[in-house]
Amino acid sequence: MKVSLNWLRELVELPPTVPALVDLLTMAGVEVEGIETTGCSIANIVVGEIQESVQHPNADRLSVCKVDDGSGTPRQIVCGAKNYRVGDKVPVALPGAQLAPDFVIKVGKLRGVESQGMLCSADELGLPATLGARGAEDGLLILPAGAKPGTPFSEVFHSDTVLDFEITPNRPDLLSHYGLAREIAALTGRVAKNPLASLTEGNVKPFARIETQLCQCYSLHRIEGVTVGGSPAELRDKLEAIGLRAINNIVDLTNFVMMEIGQPLHAFDADKIAGGIRVRMAREGEEFLALDGKTYRLAAEDIVIADDNGPVALGGVMGGEASGVTTSTKNILLESADFDRASIRRTARRLGLHSDSSYRFERGVDDATVVPAGFQAAARIVEISGGAVTSRELGYSDTKADDQERDSTINFSQPHFCSHVPFSHERCRRILGTDVSDERINAILASFGLKKDGSEWQIPSWRGGDLWREIDLIEEVARVVGMDAIPAKMHARFAGASATDRNYDRAMALRRAFVAQGFHEARSITLVPEEPLGLKFTQTDAASLLRVKNPMNDDQVVLRPGLLHGLLTAVRDNLRAGAKSMRLFEIGRVFSTQRPEEFSHAAAVLAGPLSERNWRSGEGRGSDIFDLKAAVRAVFGEGVTLDPEENPALALSLVVKANGKPVGFAGQLWPANARALDADVPVTFVEVDLAALWKAAVPDLAKKYREIPRFPATSRDIAMLAPLTLQHDSIAAALAKAKEPLLAGVELFDVFTDATGAKVPADKKSLAYSLTYRSPERTLTADEVNAAHTKLKERLKTELGVALRE
Amino acid sequence: MDASLEQLRAEAIAAIAVAADEAAIEQARIKFLGQQGALTALSKGMKDVSKEDKPRIGKLLNDVRAAVTAALDERKAALQGDADKAAFAGVDVTLPGTPAGFAGKGTLHPITQLLDRTIAIFRRMGFALADGPDIETEWHCFDALNTPADHPARNEQDTFYMPDGRLLRTHTSTVQIRTMEKAAPPVRIIAPGAAYRRDEIDATHLAQFTQMEGLYVDEGVSVADLKGTLEFFFRELFGNDAKFRFRPHFFPFTEPSYEVDIKTSMLGATDRWLEIAGCGMVDPAVLEAVNTKRGDRAFDPEKFTGFAFGFGLDRLAMIMSGTPDIRYFTNNDQRFLAQF
Repeated sequence: MKVSLNWLRELVELPPTVPALVDLLTMAGVEVEGIETTGCSIANIVVGEIQESVQHPNADRLSVCKVDDGSGTPRQIVCGAKNYRVGDKVPVALPGAQLAPDFVIKVGKLRGVESQGMLCSADELGLPATLGARGAEDGLLILPAGAKPGTPFSEVFHSDTVLDFEITPNRPDLLSHYGLAREIAALTGRVAKNPLASLTEGNVKPFARIETQLCQCYSLHRIEGVTVGGSPAELRDKLEAIGLRAINNIVDLTNFVMMEIGQPLHAFDADKIAGGIRVRMAREGEEFLALDGKTYRLAAEDIVIADDNGPVALGGVMGGEASGVTTSTKNILLESADFDRASIRRTARRLGLHSDSSYRFERGVDDATVVPAGFQAAARIVEISGGAVTSRELGYSDTKADDQERDSTINFSQPHFCSHVPFSHERCRRILGTDVSDERINAILASFGLKKDGSEWQIPSWRGGDLWREIDLIEEVARVVGMDAIPAKMHARFAGASATDRNYDRAMALRRAFVAQGFHEARSITLVPEEPLGLKFTQTDAASLLRVKNPMNDDQVVLRPGLLHGLLTAVRDNLRAGAKSMRLFEIGRVFSTQRPEEFSHAAAVLAGPLSERNWRSGEGRGSDIFDLKAAVRAVFGEGVTLDPEENPALALSLVVKANGKPVGFAGQLWPANARALDADVPVTFVEVDLAALWKAAVPDLAKKYREIPRFPATSRDIAMLAPLTLQHDSIAAALAKAKEPLLAGVELFDVFTDATGAKVPADKKSLAYSLTYRSPERTLTADEVNAAHTKLKERLKTELGVALRE
Repeated sequence: MDASLEQLRAEAIAAIAVAADEAAIEQARIKFLGQQGALTALSKGMKDVSKEDKPRIGKLLNDVRAAVTAALDERKAALQGDADKAAFAGVDVTLPGTPAGFAGKGTLHPITQLLDRTIAIFRRMGFALADGPDIETEWHCFDALNTPADHPARNEQDTFYMPDGRLLRTHTSTVQIRTMEKAAPPVRIIAPGAAYRRDEIDATHLAQFTQMEGLYVDEGVSVADLKGTLEFFFRELFGNDAKFRFRPHFFPFTEPSYEVDIKTSMLGATDRWLEIAGCGMVDPAVLEAVNTKRGDRAFDPEKFTGFAFGFGLDRLAMIMSGTPDIRYFTNNDQRFLAQF
């Protein structure tokens, strides 16, 4: 909300400087979002009249002027501008005027000619450069001919500072100049001037046509014989300072009262109202042409002000186009009312129609101000537009039937309290954690308009919305006492690890393991497109996808079913950005319609060469599924295996198992799918469900010692010609099945195939293994090793039918 | 003309279907679509077509060209697919993995690094981790946090909803409720996690961001505890020269509420306040909402008080690292990730 300090100053004495005011309010919880200064407030600048201008004797571009500054003695000033004529009124900076932090005007000589000041451009005075500069933007600011020489410049261009406040939803009482003045007064120990103070009492007739409980109070002042026209300058200045457009004296005045005391008002052209005004709920589908020129379709939850022909205003939100005040309006009906907050909010939100009025009603207006604001506004309208108040009506939704006939007199001078709140000083001190005396607490609460009543406090009407519990009062004390006065207490408790702690630690251990393998950690947005990349590779059922109902765009529709979309997108984007080698992993939350709905995955992608070129070697070998396999086991542990799996969506497909239980999958993309990511190298990935992983293989916190071999090992190689389809797994299994106690390790060190059949038959492959033999008890003899080795070779021959190459 | 075109189409498609390799496909392309090709020859006949037939024949000509082109592409893809299949048919995926050896340094994501540091500090102060779902009920996200329907702070426009009426949590404060539903006081937790806001994405806004939530409920917890805890935390994070101010503010679920501003050389701000966290004393209405849900008085506000706080990690990481655009944190550009 924008607040003019000139206006505010009329209502309360302000701290000496703007920063002091901003600081005072900021530390009381009223945040200033912007500060804007208009006009010019630099001292020692006056209006001057140029009486004479002659060429500077020593400089082609300069002139020497004689200027009347109102002192009676013409002032000689050297000037470089060309856009003025003799007789023009211009701003004159007198010696002592400070135009910038390091620029103070002094009497001095310019090219040998004395200059006793400076004639100024708009820019030099901090005003918009285009202002009044005839012909040239960098020329002098030419003032209206009527300006009197010697007049302080600040009187010609009124200076004001406008603060833009962020008012939190709990403080609707601050949505007006008076409301802020009252707050400043409370914080500084001063008294704010109540614009309604002059009202004492008033007479009203009953208004009986409130047909909904959602309008708590409705008042109408009929003013006849007004003259609609422009507003007085003072009124216009105030509204324009805070960014409101001046319209006409009637509308401007209703806006003025709203901005001064916070009560939204509305003026109808009385002659455009057919029959009597009533307050009712809209009929479903009823149409209404609002002041913004748009037609709205109303619903039964909207409050309308209606005449015999239909709605003339959307209660508390906006007036109607047809019944608005125009230059030909003679008689008006001035409305001041109070509407249900929730109802106004629903209507404004549903219709997307937000006004200064709805903004205040949906946060809550001071119900004690509704009636006097109407009286005040009616009196001011009569003052500025003529006419006379011919009738006043007032009704409440909860008025008893027999009261609806009676005229009544309203007394405005009583202070309004709306509720009582019990309060314990001791509890206040306990919650703040500091010693504040009873007297200090009482003084703080009293400064905000609260009144002590035994152990309870009476709450002023304008704070009814946010002060209704003890804690609300404690907050007021806390605001004023300030955090600086509260000690910083350091105190801890023992905290055992929660399940979340354990999962976090396990996930961090995995992250560090990935990093140790040279992977970079990625973090992707969890919202992905309708068809996320990688969905088909993992054979995820599209029916298990969770979608948001109101996505922002097509890229963020589905809660990711896995981590591949983010990682494959990253592969593509990085390749497009010129990357060669890709090693990325991510650990994060994924979603599914299956239970559990949310779970954690770890995934990684690998593409491109394993290392960059350097001076000792060329570019590293291109990576593929076997490098990924090694990385997976390095990260997830030796207990994890990767077994072949049938999946036509992938060129190579593996299931990841922990202790024999499936916990994830890995694979290599078909080249066509890789090319879709701009990858002409193998793209491989792994994705693991962490809950399944940790269930199948509980991370070992206390690893067990294994004896370090004390005796040397001996190795023997086996070279064989095997059918192309015989898998390494089968060979390893056959060797393991032999249960040879001396066999300590099996290492495949060469694989060779030749599709042409020249070196190896096309349907065969050549494999070379190195077998390691060792005993924990002694150094093995060559005979022992040979015996064991021969036994194993025989076994391979008979069991797998491979041809050994000796 | 019509008949010749249709015949050409049939011939071409048949020829392409039996093309056995890349070269055969190229030959077929030249034969039918090339400059001296059959279709080009036929299209020269257009000048003899009557005026009224011209549009129709012209369209047919284009259709045939498109059909033949599509057949060529399709055949090429099929051959490529066959070649790919053949290339992978003999691959023995059971071959042992090949440890890649030294391959340059890996890195933790800058958000993870910051998160891990913050968790380490809070753990030193005796906070345990807690967790809650990203997909939440309106009750956990708003109502239980003292933000009933029609409250001006309940901004549905900025919220992602699920078809069943649930939503993506707009803050991690939901974990306060989730934790108190199950545990009894004292509760002393931190909860890092994702929160979502339906906001236009730009250099400082993402639809999803990372928050750290904290909650401590016990007998006798006061504003002084809140101040001590957060000051200690931020000094540990930013160093002892950090200056703070707790500026009164409004949140529906805490009262009194504060925003924490900081001045510190580590954030490159020694002369201006940076808003970095929101906090306050847990509103009694929040404790009562939990009691109602639990069906007991475990969190009786007459007996227990508490503080809660929350801050965004993305913005902190941005300021600490000097990263100019928040989108770097989710774009996964390796040149960015490798810097941390």
